[in-house]
Amino acid sequence: MASLAHPQQRQFNPYSENGGTILAIAGADFSVIAGDTRQSEGYSIQTRYAPKVFRLTDRAVLAVNGFAADGNMFVKKVKQRLEWYRHAHAKDMPLRAIARLIQTMLYARRFFPYYVYNILGGIEEDGTGAVYSFDPVGSYEREACRAAGAASSLVQPFLDNQIYFKNQRPAPGTSHPVHLPLPTVLSIVIDSFTSATERHIEVGDGLEIYVVLAKGRNLQGLEGIRGMQELTVTEDGERVFVVRRELKKD
Amino acid sequence: MSIMEYNGGSVIAMVGKDCVAIASDLRLGNQALSISSNFQKIFPVTDRIYLGLPGLATDVTTLRERFRYRVNMYTIKEEREIEPETFAHLVSSTLYEHRFGQYFIEPVIAGLSKTPSGGVKPFIAATDIIGCLNFAKDFVVAGTASSKLFGVAEGLWEPDLEPEDLFETISQSLLNAVDRDAFSGWGAIVHVITKDKVTTRTLKGRMD
Repeated sequence: MASLAHPQQRQFNPYSENGGTILAIAGADFSVIAGDTRQSEGYSIQTRYAPKVFRLTDRAVLAVNGFAADGNMFVKKVKQRLEWYRHAHAKDMPLRAIARLIQTMLYARRFFPYYVYNILGGIEEDGTGAVYSFDPVGSYEREACRAAGAASSLVQPFLDNQIYFKNQRPAPGTSHPVHLPLPTVLSIVIDSFTSATERHIEVGDGLEIYVVLAKGRNLQGLEGIRGMQELTVTEDGERVFVVRRELKKD
Repeated sequence: MSIMEYNGGSVIAMVGKDCVAIASDLRLGNQALSISSNFQKIFPVTDRIYLGLPGLATDVTTLRERFRYRVNMYTIKEEREIEPETFAHLVSSTLYEHRFGQYFIEPVIAGLSKTPSGGVKPFIAATDIIGCLNFAKDFVVAGTASSKLFGVAEGLWEPDLEPEDLFETISQSLLNAVDRDAFSGWGAIVHVITKDKVTTRTLKGRMD
């Protein structure tokens, strides 16, 4: 029989951390949202293919990173809210409205948060590429690029340098571009993930890159991309593509 | 409170084509409060060896003097300059002597070693606080911004960089990494070591 003299303590921890990294970059008329597919807990790999990036509509893609169970549940609930919106208004919710919806959904759980960092990418109503990044309780901001997750500290300063041209001065008489062309962005995304895979144990296995193109934009920059697949549902609107790549598995 | 973050600071070293570079930030802090923007963490050991000492500032001073003493003793006894490989092992054994009461420093060594044919071979190394050596072929990082330095350097570095390109690569790696680190920054210093000279440049960067 257990001693009754000593105080006992029990605890249940409802959260865990499942590694991985996500990243999004906005262009002038496109948006790129990417994530690796490794899911781990501690030093164990649970699976080499667990998607963290999801198509919400033809103009919105959501990447979720942190506690995978919360992430999957959160995406499920966002998709449900977007379906209700479609039934009520007979159209897809605009990107900025999805961003605000995500804020309210996250803040609704202020005192038992979804343990996830969200990055929303897509096309705004004015046809510009956009990236919105969120903290777990819904604080958000529209940006040109953002990395989140296990290797965010490795990737974000690289993006500062390559996307925002931080610590670089343009040659006399020239200026830094505000938006980069699609092929450049794709190269930077792939380089970021191969670098993160090399130096971070929780990143690797596979890479999924979603590309959202603005309405009427041609496929320039995507031609000849190996293993590309179109996920667009509606005609003559924005178009969504996914590119799948292998990453090192060690 | 982590003792490695008490004063802040970061160092990086890179290999190029017949050259090496070593760079650090210049901040000295007391936790979040910045004290100095001219705190040197990199010291010359010989004409061809430089040593970076990020970590607890009081140990930076102590170890600098300790290595100066030990290198002088080596030079007198051997009647020749110490080679980078030898110096790396001297650093390692000096730190391991204090295995159970460590100096809170993660040294970074950069130098050119002599080859039998009379040429030079780039050499870099780093150790943890108890002297476990890491001889990397590409680059080594240490300090409070190490995770950021790993990310940027892994993305920017390529083999066989000429001295001027190596300077640009190491400078951009350091500057962009320390800008995302609250404990590092406030200016930077870069040394590029080649066969016949050492080029030292002080960088401003963002001073916030």
